[in-house]
Amino acid sequence: MDAGVLAQYVFNGVMLGVIYAMVAVGFTLFFGVLDVIQFAHGDVVMAGAFVGLATYLALHALGIAAPAVVVLVVACAAGLGMALLGAIIARWLILPLRAAPAFNTLLVTLMLGSILRELVRLFYPNGSNPQPFPRLLPSASANLGHFTLRLDTTLLIVTGLVTIVIVNLVVRRTRLGLAIRAVAQDSETARVMGIDFERVVLVTFAIGSALAGFAGVVYGLYYNEVNFDIGLLLGVIGFSAAVVGGLGSIYGAILGGFLFAALQTIGSVALPVSSAYSNVFAFAVVIVLMTWKPTGLIAEPASERV
Amino acid sequence: MTEAARALEVEHLFAGYDRADVLVDVSITARAGEITCILGSNGSGKTTLVRSILGLTPPRRGRIVFDGADITGLPTHRVIALGIACIPEGRKVFPKLTIEENLRLGAYRETDEATIRKRLGEVHSIFPKLEERRTQLAGTMSGGEQAMLSIGRGLMSGPRMLLIDEPSLGLSPLFVRQNFEVIRRVNEQGVTVLLVEQNAHQTLAIAHRGYVLSKGRVVAEGSAAALRDNEEVRRAYFG
Ligand SMILES: Nc1ncnc2c1ncn2[C@@H]1O[C@H](COP(=O)(O)OP(=O)(O)OP(=O)(O)O)[C@@H](O)[C@H]1O
Ligand SMILES: [Mg+2]
Repeated sequence: MDAGVLAQYVFNGVMLGVIYAMVAVGFTLFFGVLDVIQFAHGDVVMAGAFVGLATYLALHALGIAAPAVVVLVVACAAGLGMALLGAIIARWLILPLRAAPAFNTLLVTLMLGSILRELVRLFYPNGSNPQPFPRLLPSASANLGHFTLRLDTTLLIVTGLVTIVIVNLVVRRTRLGLAIRAVAQDSETARVMGIDFERVVLVTFAIGSALAGFAGVVYGLYYNEVNFDIGLLLGVIGFSAAVVGGLGSIYGAILGGFLFAALQTIGSVALPVSSAYSNVFAFAVVIVLMTWKPTGLIAEPASERV
Repeated sequence: MTEAARALEVEHLFAGYDRADVLVDVSITARAGEITCILGSNGSGKTTLVRSILGLTPPRRGRIVFDGADITGLPTHRVIALGIACIPEGRKVFPKLTIEENLRLGAYRETDEATIRKRLGEVHSIFPKLEERRTQLAGTMSGGEQAMLSIGRGLMSGPRMLLIDEPSLGLSPLFVRQNFEVIRRVNEQGVTVLLVEQNAHQTLAIAHRGYVLSKGRVVAEGSAAALRDNEEVRRAYFG
């Protein structure tokens, strides 16, 4: 294969990997602190994209057009909005269900995902159809043979990576992160240390969901289109990435996200069948990996968390 | 006795897990500045008492008062905020965190870095090993070292009262003696101690007063000297 073409596939794959990793980190954080799977997490990504889109339209109506300002406000609105949504989900759905069987949390968050999707479909103007997402980033590009290095995509990759690194630093280096890791390992002893358990759970859900909100905006800016149902596939991909990497481990979630994007890319390029089979291929490989390493690629005992 | 002299009062406490009460009408007082011990054999309810005080197993009936404030049923982090610290049964160190991170968690409610560093220094001077191995994961330490870490972590908050649950469990006699000596010195510096133990000999040697629990009830109480002479305690613990 031509080196330029190969570079293009790698570049696009990295972009996807960043989006998947941003989603997977949320799954892994929630599982770390509370042993729960938040099945509406993919729809939180979608809701973040729509909050970003609505914010853009509002700014547009107000006549605010400076691209840098618009991008910043759109991203902050999506991040903060989803942080709030995540904290609400934790406070009113996840924590009250802690005493119930884990099955109930699974069911409730699945239903919540459907509600979020339907709300957007019904109440967003013309919400049943894909919505154009504005191009807000500089569209300059450089051609190197068959490889087109786009500035906007580069910016998205860098920003996505930076947010993941920031979340990782918060978890590893701050007092809050120490509390999150303590709760993940032994929530009862963490309480005995004076940690307000419920507050740590709310903050963790806020952080993971804010990351999902950003991921939604990154998705919109990359594809220039969002739809009410994008959360379904993103949720399954993010969840698989987190599981295949080792649920509970941040590094595992990042690895899993890039692995899934790599598999999709390989599936669409290297297989002698239509690129429509890329997801079939990627999921099939993930299934094989999961049977081979049931606790995830970043091999660690069940006690390892976050 | 004045209010100030009673650091912790447990009044007519009933507590348990499923249906049956594990603690039945338990009343104990820990006087300020003293070491009060709770003796009792396996399953007599000692840990349940500690958990009730900490709000981990909220009582069904009865009252718990610390320094004049009713703490019955308070969430655990608010009990800790009042100046109570715990060295839990079985150490309960965080295995995947470093020794220093474990110690810092002991001082979680303290936000002043200078105070945290000062306390780290104090704990390091008691247990120099914890300083040498600062960056080692707690889960890779030996049982005796984990016991040091758990005690050090309990001191990190600069507590007014320490709840200590079976510090001798699983330790060699040398470690037990060292740890009891540390507890005695901490108490001499003014920290009120509630010491839960099965090891009656060494416990009564450092305690001022004590209670004996049996099947969730207080069956004897008094000064350490009186308990040493008490027939029931002798039969139960001194063979
Ligand atoms: N989490 C729990 N759920 C149900 N029952 C429990 C639980 N913890 C303890 N018990 C029961 O409560 C009773 C008292 O246990 P507790 O741990 O308070 O005793 P203990 O005096 O601390 O014993 P030990 O010396 O072995 O530590 C026991 O019969 C025990 O089986
Ligand atoms: Mg016990």
